Amino acid sequence: MIPLRRRGARTHACRVDTRLVSVAALILLGAVTLLAAQPDAVFDAMQAELQRSMTLTLNQLDKPYYLSYSVDDAHAWSAAATLGGLISSISNDYRAPRLHMRVGDYKFDNTNWTGANAAGPRYGLRNFPIEDENPLVLRQYLWLASDSAFKGALQSIARKRAALRNVTVSEELPDFDPAPPFVLIHDYHPVRFDSKTWDDRARRVSAVFSEFPALRNSGVELSAVDSLHRFVSNEGTKVRIQESLGTVEIRASAQASDGMIVRDMDILYTRDPARMFTEADLTKSARAVGEQVLKMAAAPLGDNYTGPVLFEGASSPQLMAEILGDNLHISRKPVTTPGGAAQSSTTELEGRRGVRIMPEFFDVKDDPTLPLFGHEDVDDEGVPDKPLSLVEKGVLKDFLRTRQPVRGYNDSNGRARLIANYGADTPVPTNLVITARETSPIPDMKKKLIDLIQQRGLPYGMIVRKMDFPSSASLDEARKILAAGAAGGSGRPVSMPLYAYRLYPDGREELVRGERFKGVNARSLKDILAAGDDSTTFNYLDNGAPFALLGYGSGAAEVTVVAPSVLIDDLEMSKVDDELPKLPIVPAPALAK
Amino acid sequence: MLSSIIVKILDFTALLAVSTLAFAQSSKPPADDSSHVVLNTMAEELQRNFDGMKKKADPPPYFLSYEITDQDSHNISASLGVLNGVEDGRNRYLDVTVRVGDPKLDNFRRVRGERVQFTSGAAVPIDNTPVALRQDLWLETDRVYRASAERLIKIKTNQQVKTADRDTSNDFSSEESYAHWETPAKVTFDSTRWKQNVRDLSKNFLTYPDLLSSDVQVSFLADTRYFANTEGTRVQHGRDFARVIITASAKAKDGMDVSDFASFEAADPKDLPSSDVIKAAVKRVGEHVEALTTAKTAEPFVGPAILSGRASGVFFHEIFGHRIEGHRQKDESEGQTFTKSVGEKILPEFLSVTFDPTIKRIAGVDLNGWYEYDDEGQIGRPVKAVENGVLRNFLMSRSPIDGFDHSNGHGRRQPGLEVVSRQSNLIVTSTRTVSDQQLRRMLIDEIKKQNKPYGLYFEDITSGVTTTQRSGVQAFKVVPVIVYRVYADGRPDELIRGADIVGTPLASFSRIIATSDKQEVFNGYCGAESGSVPVSAVSPAILISEIEIEKKDASQDLLPLLPSPLSVGVN
Repeated sequence: MIPLRRRGARTHACRVDTRLVSVAALILLGAVTLLAAQPDAVFDAMQAELQRSMTLTLNQLDKPYYLSYSVDDAHAWSAAATLGGLISSISNDYRAPRLHMRVGDYKFDNTNWTGANAAGPRYGLRNFPIEDENPLVLRQYLWLASDSAFKGALQSIARKRAALRNVTVSEELPDFDPAPPFVLIHDYHPVRFDSKTWDDRARRVSAVFSEFPALRNSGVELSAVDSLHRFVSNEGTKVRIQESLGTVEIRASAQASDGMIVRDMDILYTRDPARMFTEADLTKSARAVGEQVLKMAAAPLGDNYTGPVLFEGASSPQLMAEILGDNLHISRKPVTTPGGAAQSSTTELEGRRGVRIMPEFFDVKDDPTLPLFGHEDVDDEGVPDKPLSLVEKGVLKDFLRTRQPVRGYNDSNGRARLIANYGADTPVPTNLVITARETSPIPDMKKKLIDLIQQRGLPYGMIVRKMDFPSSASLDEARKILAAGAAGGSGRPVSMPLYAYRLYPDGREELVRGERFKGVNARSLKDILAAGDDSTTFNYLDNGAPFALLGYGSGAAEVTVVAPSVLIDDLEMSKVDDELPKLPIVPAPALAK
Repeated sequence: MLSSIIVKILDFTALLAVSTLAFAQSSKPPADDSSHVVLNTMAEELQRNFDGMKKKADPPPYFLSYEITDQDSHNISASLGVLNGVEDGRNRYLDVTVRVGDPKLDNFRRVRGERVQFTSGAAVPIDNTPVALRQDLWLETDRVYRASAERLIKIKTNQQVKTADRDTSNDFSSEESYAHWETPAKVTFDSTRWKQNVRDLSKNFLTYPDLLSSDVQVSFLADTRYFANTEGTRVQHGRDFARVIITASAKAKDGMDVSDFASFEAADPKDLPSSDVIKAAVKRVGEHVEALTTAKTAEPFVGPAILSGRASGVFFHEIFGHRIEGHRQKDESEGQTFTKSVGEKILPEFLSVTFDPTIKRIAGVDLNGWYEYDDEGQIGRPVKAVENGVLRNFLMSRSPIDGFDHSNGHGRRQPGLEVVSRQSNLIVTSTRTVSDQQLRRMLIDEIKKQNKPYGLYFEDITSGVTTTQRSGVQAFKVVPVIVYRVYADGRPDELIRGADIVGTPLASFSRIIATSDKQEVFNGYCGAESGSVPVSAVSPAILISEIEIEKKDASQDLLPLLPSPLSVGVN
C-alpha cells in the first residue's frame, strides 16, 4: 500500500496568479493580495489565530518568537488489484495541520536538541475540521494546538538549558535562521476523479499478469492525491498552492529454482493525476515487468566481482540520487543529555566544499524552476527554492539547506522538504541535473569497459540498467542489506542492482541475479571514467527511508534526477548469501477461471 | 439477513472420509449465485492444498482452515457542527490455520507465556475473482504451514526437556461440522442523511463553552465471514453494526482531564434511536463534563456502593469474564483464579452468569456480542458459567482444557490474529432483586451500619483493565466516569471526579448484597490476545457492601492560556 502522501505535487494547471511581493511592499500589499484571491476560511482562520497565539505568555518564561501553521487539504484515492481482482479501493478526505512553535529567540530556542519534541497537553484533539461553515471551529482547533505546542516548547527549552549545564557544545550555532517574508497565492482548481474508472483500470492492468502463470505474486496500485497546501508564519510569509500527485506501482515477483525470490517494479509518477497515464501504457508496463521477472528468475546467480561497472540509462540517476543527492547537505548534531545518543549521521560530503568530488568534466545543478517532476516554488518552511550550482568542474560548491543553521552557513536556500528529528527539516534536492562536458556514445563506453576487463584479465565486465530504488523490498530484506553494509564498514549501503548484466569480451550480455554492491558511496564518484552522450530523467518520491523504501519513511518529496550513463571503476559486487526460502510444497493453482 | 439453513453434518471421525461429498449433497448453494464464489473457491483450494501437503509435506498437516472476513465500513464524524472525518473502506482479510502433529500435540500447544501467531490477516481481493483468490490462498497456506511445522518441531524438543504440564488435555478438540449459507445482507447506509445528523447533533456542544473537545461519530460496519475447514465445515454468515458515539472532554482547574461518553448500537442503522434521543444524550454528556470540571475530587475510600446495571456489566466483564476464558486455564503463566473452582461457590448464590451469543436483543437494545458462528466455524452456544453462585463452565474455543473437551462456540478473533476463547454477551441474572428505590435505601442502611460518611453510586464506567497473568498482581482497575457520593443524611448526591475502582476479584464478588430488578446493557469492544471483538455486558444494578476506590493519576497541565476563540467571537 502507498501511504497517503503528506503533500502532493503541484498541477501545471494552477501555475497562474502567482504573486511575488517584495519585502517592503508586503506590509501594504499583503492584505490586498489575499482579498483578490479565492475566499478561504481556513487561511483566514490560520492568520487570525496565528496573530493571537503569538501573544501567548506564561509567567516570566520564554515567549514565542516564531510560529507557523500549515494546513493541507487532501483528497486522496487509491485502488489496488491483483490478477483482475480489486483488493482495495479507498477514498479519503482530510486536512493535515502542522504547527511549528519556537520560543526564545533565533539564537537560542527549544529545538536542536534531543528533547525537542516534548509534548504539551493533548486536549483530546482529533481531526482538523474538513468543512468551513464555522470559522471559529477552525480556530478552536488551532487555538488548542498552539497552546499545547507553546507549553511543550517551554518544557523543551527548560530541559535544554538544564542539559547544557552538564555538557559543553563544541561549536555554538544559532538555532534558526531568519527568513524574509514570502507571499505566493494560487487559486485552487479541484481535480476531478471518477473512482470507478480507476478501480476498473486497476483490475484490467493487474489481469495482464494472468498471462504469466510462473509468477509468484503480482499487483497494481493506482493512487492520487489532490491537495491544497497553506502556510502562514508570523514573519509574514503566506503560501497557498495546489499540489497534486498521481502514482502507479506495477509489481511482480517470481521464485527461481534455487528458491531465490526475484522481483521488479515499475513506478510511474505524474503531477497531473486528472490525466493519468493511458491504460495502454500501463498494460505495456505490466507486460514488461512480467517478462523481466521471469527472465530474472531463469537467470544464473551472479558472482563476486571487482572492476568497472557501466550504469546505463535509469540506473545512473538512480545511483546519483543515493550517493550524491542524499549527501548534498550538512547534518547538525543536536544537543544531547549527558550520556544520551542522538540519531544523526554525518553526510559523506560534509566539510568538502571546494574539494573535487567528481571528475572535472562534471557539473551538478539543482534547479527547482525546471518544469520537471521535482519542480517546487516554496519549501515546507515557507522559503522559495533557489536554483543552485552545487558542483562546478567536479568541485563541490554548495549544499542544500534549510533554516537550520549548520557549520559555515546561516541562510536557507529553500530545500526543507521532509520532516526530520529535533524540530528541523531534512534538505532534499528538487531537480538534480548532472551534466558532463566530455561524453561518449554508449557503444564506445561498452568498448571501453571491454578494454578495461581485458587489460585486467577479468572474464567479463558488469552493466547495471536498473537499481532497486525506490525499493520494493520487504522490511526484512532491507534490514539485511543495511546490516551487510554496516558490517562492511562503508556507511549506508546503496540499493541492490535489479537488472545486472555480464558483458563478455565478445559483446555478449548475460542477465544475472542476486548481486549486491559493497562499499559504493560518494567517494565512488571520483572513480567515474566516462559519461555517456545520453541523459535519463528519473523521478521518485523521497521519503527519507533507506533506499526510499516504499511504505516507510516520513512524508514525501518529489525529486527528479537527470544524469548521463556513467562508467565507474573499481566497484565491488558480491553475490547474496542469504538463506533462501524453499519452493512451495503444493504447485501453484491454475490461472484459468 | 436472509433466513438461513443450519445443517449439522457428521461427526468428526465419520467425516474425514466423506466430508466433501456429504457437504455437497446437503447444502451446496445454487451455482449461479456469485456470492458463493468466495466460499467455493476457498473450499476447493483448501482441499487441493490439504491433499498436496498430506502427500508431500513432512510433517504433514492434519487440519487446515480458511477464514475470510469481509468488512465494509463507513465512518462519519463531526465536531461543533462541522465534519472532521469521512471514511469509507472495504477490505477482505484472510486467516489461514494449519495444524501439524495430531490433536494431542500440535503446533498450537500453549507453552508458558508464548504468544502463538501464524496467521497474518493478508489482504485478499474484495471482488469475487477465483483466480486472484486462489493465488493468495495458496501462498498464504504455504507460508503458514512452514511457520507451523517449525513451531511443532520446537515444541517437541521443548516437551522432552520440561516437566509435564499440569493440564493434560489435547491441543485440539473434535467437533461437529456445519454448513450454513447466508446471502450477505445489503444494508443501506444513508451517508448524506447521517452527515447532516452528526453535524446537527455535534452543534449542540457549542452551548457548553468549557468543553475543550467534543465529537459525534457514526460508524457502520457490514461484517461478513466465510469459513471452511478440512473437516467439511462451510459457513458463510455475517452481521451489521451501527454505532453512534458521543464524546466530550475538558480540564478541571487543577489540570485533571475529565470526560464523558455515550453510545448507541444497533444491528441495522434504522434501529438506532431517534435524533431526539441522541440529542438528549449529547446534552447529558455536555452537562456531565461541565459539571465534572468543578466537581470535588475523589478521596481514597472503602465502603458500600451501588453500581448501575451498565457499570456492573463492565465490572463483571473485567473481573470475572476474562478469568473464565478457557485457554487461560491451561497456560502456566496465567493466574488461574478459577481453574480449580468448578463446582464451587464463587459468587453469592442469588447470582448467575451466562454468556449467550445467540441473544440479539435485551431491554430494547441490540447486543454487540451476538453472532451465529465463531471464528472456528463453531455454532455460538449459551454457556451457563455460574449457576446460583456455583462455577459450572468456561468459555471454550477448540482448545480443550481438563474436564472440558469441547468448544462452546466462543473461539473469536480480530482478523489477523489467532483465535482464543473470548466473551460474547455476558448476562448477569439475580434472584435477589429489589426495586431501584429499595436498592438505594439498602445502600443508605449500609452506610449507616458501617458508620461511613457516604456511599458511592457508579453511574457509568467506560473501561477497565485486568491482569490475569501470574507474574502480575491478580487485580483489576475499572475507570468510572460518572460517580456520585450518596449521603445517608438526605443531602443531595454529589458528583465527584477522578475515582478508580481497584480490588481483587474474589474479594469483590463476595460482597455483593443485592441487585435491582432491571437489566441494563453495555455494548462495547473488548481487547485481548486475539484483538478487538464486539461484546455486550448485561446486568442489573448491584449493591456491594465494600468497594475500594483510589485517586486517579491525574495530569497537572494548566488550562489553555488564552480564551477560546468561540468565547471571544469574531475579532
